[in-house]
Amino acid sequence: MEYTYQYSWIIPFIPLPVPMLIGVGLLLFPTATKNLRRMWAFLSIFLLSIVMILSVYLSIQEINRSFIYQYVWSWTINNDFSLEFGHLIDPLTSIMLILITTVGILVLFYSDNYMSHDQGYLRFFAYMSFFNTSMLGLVTSSNLIQIYIFWELVGMCSYLLIGFWFTRPSAATACQKAFVTNRVGDFGLLLGILGLYWITGSFEFRDLFQILNNLIYNNEVPFLFLTLCAFLLFAGAVAKSAQFPLHVWLPDAMEGPTPISALIHAATMVAAGIFLVARLLPLFIIIPYIMNFISLIGIITVLLGATLALAQKDIKRGLAYSTMSQLGYMMLALGMGSYRAAFFHLITHAYSKALLFLGSGSIIHSMEAIVGYSPDKSQNMVLMGGLKKHVPITKTAFLVGTLSLCGIPPLACFWSKDEILNDSWLYSPIFAIIACSTAGLTAFYMFRIYLLTFEGHFNVHFQNYSGQKSSSYYSISLWGKEVPKTIKNKNNFHLLSLLTMNNNERASFFSNKTYQIDGNGKKRIRPFLTITHFVTKNTFSYPHESDNTMLFSMVILVLFTFFVGVVGIPFAFNQEGIHLDILSKLLNPSINLLHPNSNNSVDWYEFVTNAIFSVSIAFFGIFIASFLYKPIYSSLQNLNLLNSFSKRGPNRILGDRIRNVIYDWSYNRGYIDTFYTISLTQGIRGLAELIHFLDRRVIDGITNGFGLTSFFFGEGIKYVGVGRISSYLLLYLLFVLIFLLIYSFFFFNLNFL
Amino acid sequence: MNYFPWLTIIVLLPIFAGSLIFFLPHRGNKVIRWYTICISTLELLLTTYTFCYHFQLNDPLTQLTEDYKWIHFFDFYWRLGIDGLSIGPILLTGFITTLATLAARPVTRDSRLFHFLMLAMYSGQIGSFSSRDLFLFFIMWELELIPVYLLLSMWGGKKRLYSATKFILYTAGGSIFLLIGVLGIGLYGSNEPTLNLETLANQSYPVALEIIFYIGFLIAFAVKLPIIPLHTWLPDTHGEAHYSTCMLLAGILLKMGAYGLVRINMELLPHAHSIFSPWLIIVGAIQIIYAALTSPGQRNLKKRIAYSSVSHMGFIIIGIGSITDTGLNGAILQIISHGFIGAALFFLAGTSYDRIRLVYLDEMGGMAIHLPKIFTMFSILSMASLALPGMSGFLAELILFFGIITSQQYLLMPKILITFVMAIGMILTPIYLLSMLRQMFYGYKLFNVPNSYFFDFGARELFVSISILLPIIAIGIYPDFVLSLSVDKVEAILSNYFYQ
Repeated sequence: MEYTYQYSWIIPFIPLPVPMLIGVGLLLFPTATKNLRRMWAFLSIFLLSIVMILSVYLSIQEINRSFIYQYVWSWTINNDFSLEFGHLIDPLTSIMLILITTVGILVLFYSDNYMSHDQGYLRFFAYMSFFNTSMLGLVTSSNLIQIYIFWELVGMCSYLLIGFWFTRPSAATACQKAFVTNRVGDFGLLLGILGLYWITGSFEFRDLFQILNNLIYNNEVPFLFLTLCAFLLFAGAVAKSAQFPLHVWLPDAMEGPTPISALIHAATMVAAGIFLVARLLPLFIIIPYIMNFISLIGIITVLLGATLALAQKDIKRGLAYSTMSQLGYMMLALGMGSYRAAFFHLITHAYSKALLFLGSGSIIHSMEAIVGYSPDKSQNMVLMGGLKKHVPITKTAFLVGTLSLCGIPPLACFWSKDEILNDSWLYSPIFAIIACSTAGLTAFYMFRIYLLTFEGHFNVHFQNYSGQKSSSYYSISLWGKEVPKTIKNKNNFHLLSLLTMNNNERASFFSNKTYQIDGNGKKRIRPFLTITHFVTKNTFSYPHESDNTMLFSMVILVLFTFFVGVVGIPFAFNQEGIHLDILSKLLNPSINLLHPNSNNSVDWYEFVTNAIFSVSIAFFGIFIASFLYKPIYSSLQNLNLLNSFSKRGPNRILGDRIRNVIYDWSYNRGYIDTFYTISLTQGIRGLAELIHFLDRRVIDGITNGFGLTSFFFGEGIKYVGVGRISSYLLLYLLFVLIFLLIYSFFFFNLNFL
Repeated sequence: MNYFPWLTIIVLLPIFAGSLIFFLPHRGNKVIRWYTICISTLELLLTTYTFCYHFQLNDPLTQLTEDYKWIHFFDFYWRLGIDGLSIGPILLTGFITTLATLAARPVTRDSRLFHFLMLAMYSGQIGSFSSRDLFLFFIMWELELIPVYLLLSMWGGKKRLYSATKFILYTAGGSIFLLIGVLGIGLYGSNEPTLNLETLANQSYPVALEIIFYIGFLIAFAVKLPIIPLHTWLPDTHGEAHYSTCMLLAGILLKMGAYGLVRINMELLPHAHSIFSPWLIIVGAIQIIYAALTSPGQRNLKKRIAYSSVSHMGFIIIGIGSITDTGLNGAILQIISHGFIGAALFFLAGTSYDRIRLVYLDEMGGMAIHLPKIFTMFSILSMASLALPGMSGFLAELILFFGIITSQQYLLMPKILITFVMAIGMILTPIYLLSMLRQMFYGYKLFNVPNSYFFDFGARELFVSISILLPIIAIGIYPDFVLSLSVDKVEAILSNYFYQ
């Protein structure tokens, strides 16, 4: 109905009352506000549900009629330029709306329990609701300025939420890193917007595309400048979606509470970059270089994310790198022009990854009670293991998410990833090979995480199984087996010691120092929290399954993971061979802009062969992972195979070496962070020092010097003018003498001439 | 029109009421404080009332004019008047000064003199924003220096004498050039001195003379604004002054430089301005980067904020130099917006200094645990200062960007370069502001202070910070509040430039 569309501008503002009220309440009436705790959570979930109902309604309308609604009203009145506000409802928006609201509601529901013992409970909900507001505003905005505004606002929410536990120094640095890195992207975005405004004189998407097309048709565009603008716009998306050069903030962003990682850093905000590129695809598509560049960045990110995820110790960081890699897939798909595949993967990945993060949150939540609240311990996969028995429901949910991300058929990500892989074969074989092998890597690292976490024995108590208390936990290596110590000694790192900034920290991991698992190790980390479980060394306590509210969200997400693939599965054909799946129907209006290859009707034979190929790659990855990480005692059938491997000595050393290279690469995050630290951070710091010095010593020095000289001059004059007649006379005579000398000198000179 | 001398009353009320402070009975500081706050509030209300009922927004001409002959033998007039350019700064002055007097309640030493000086400054500022006579402008300009000097040298920090001397030398040095310019313009071309701004605006000069005048005024205003390399008094002054003085300094005094640039350099000397504007833009761009890079090197909290002010002033210079409608409107919006943000940041820095008694950032840490409200306000205002959308700073900078982009004067390449440099400033701003926040509030480092219990914001401080925050957000959401004041006047000023 027109009516609904007309009032749909209210969508972003529906969740807004919660942060405003909580903010005002916390500042002015802290106690009263804090007493209402659960009410606020209920209110924010309720408001978000209203948005969800609205957006479901809107998308049904979109499916049936697929038209674009735009409404604009003016914001500033100025003669020369006017800013406008508007909202745009089109299929893209409606998909994003549903995605944000469903994941948002589930995460809010989940975090009610997850954060229930935190002092910042209300702050958390305020931030979350504000994030929802800005994200909804971002997807419904109709012009670039509005996008920029909400773009920054989601960045700020992300900053606040990463730094949510502000007593942790690591969180403090992480949130600053995230904001500044995103600001670099915003810098590009703003400049791109300004450049486009200079070319076309408009911010509205549709006017913009139309004017640009006309200009290009008439050949009136400075093409280089347009390419530059498009490149700058893309830089914004690169930062937000954690693509290759600006991805460094995403793994650090895992310092935030886990529900945040699920909502912001996996499902919604990082998808904003993809959304922006998709939104501006009509612009990018007329510049072929940019499309190639996008797919290049995408493929680099795919590979980089996957390799970096290979050996992460921290469960959330592993997932973060996997997110980065998957976002790379989406970017790759967009660069190839297969808009639909990108969006399909965006949806399926959002649900799967949200599920995985919520699962990991549940694990962390139950681990925290045992190992303490430091993220180094509660998120450390080395200390986990064997959780299968203790948290069965979480385990099932996590397994479903893992399988989905690996691309195992009935689950959601299989369909979308398969589509992207298919398209990549049509685009460029090299890219396709990389993308496919990365699919194997994905399967490998996801199963590595799964196996390390859930299989085997609970490693916190490992010393009791092995019987030697002093042995390092870390000798249960991340590679699943006892790794010869020699390789991990310092001599391996002497080359890298310059490059690795966190070497000292790391060295302590490899020294025979055990972590203090029990109470005294965790006292300074989060002073807010009262630690309820004190574990003595002799009694084993095992993690417990999380509460029902958390499990409920996860179960719903499991359902989503199972069934969300339906929206994009081409399961029914009519006579003309046009697929009838919901997604294509939604995205049909824009699909004619695309690369022709994605428009081919799907051939079942081709589909099946491709699917078999990608699934077999995924299984290969899973097999390797289970070969390496599956605890030996539970896989006796592999023993012969293992022995046959271990017999071949030189090979084994070579293998270890390769492993360690990969391990170092992954552990040091591909040395990219280090590089940035050395080149940029130190550079800016040095420059700041230099300019500060310049300012102090030169510019201020001139002033001070001027002041000082005039001071001394004045003092000197004072001494001269003390008021004694004799000194005046002396001076007088002196000057007369000098004058006479000069005079006589000249006089005699003249005489001699 | 009406003949009631509203403006004279507005200008003279604070200083006369302030001088009555000395006749108040000795009943402690409380009476004086309340008296001062009442006077400031009354003044603010009076200003608002006058502007609401006796000022037409859509009229670009000067309104509420008053013209009295003061000194006969050299034609010195008491000429006051308001137009779209000055109404914004005057309201800002009233608002910030009222809040600054409220913020100055902890001052107990010599509170009579202190509050008198605050009120005297109030008069001087409003006087200089509303004078329509060049010489009167100069006198008001000087009048407001003395209170600042005294406030700085008596209630400042450890190095207050050095900073106060530096301040007075810099500004007095600038004032010489201002005086030269005023006299030069006034005495040019006629036997009788003409100092009326209206008649002067229509006068034209030989180019060389105009350039000389321009340089004179520019130096005077460059000290005040400040423009690099004349900025070094500012960090010292701000670092040492009491925070209520800082609020006035950052909130209003810096804006007088910008106001003067627009009022005199742009309006009276259009030819020279169009010659100098590229240089202004270049200097502004350099200043943004320079100050933003100096700021992270500062260990002193207040100096860091002071350098951020310097960096933000660069945007104003660029807006003034762009000679476009949009750019100038953006500059005015930035004047108002930075008036609020700068004042609020100094207020917060001062109040948190009162609590922890630490000046250097690297000694601080973990304050968020004890002072959550200060943390909240500080975060919000730092966000405002780094141009987060939804706050006034963002809009001002955005409009300035458009001013540069749409400027007809410059070629494409310079425009791209300038925009690029400005945008780099946008990356550098969060670096120093957020690292400031991180060093102050994040982490768990406990202080060396023996009793680590701190009082959070009380009602008064919360009131001050929230009432500064509200206009920031209001302007950020609906900028026409400010833009509607100045749009017509800006158009009138710029119409001079199209006749060339």
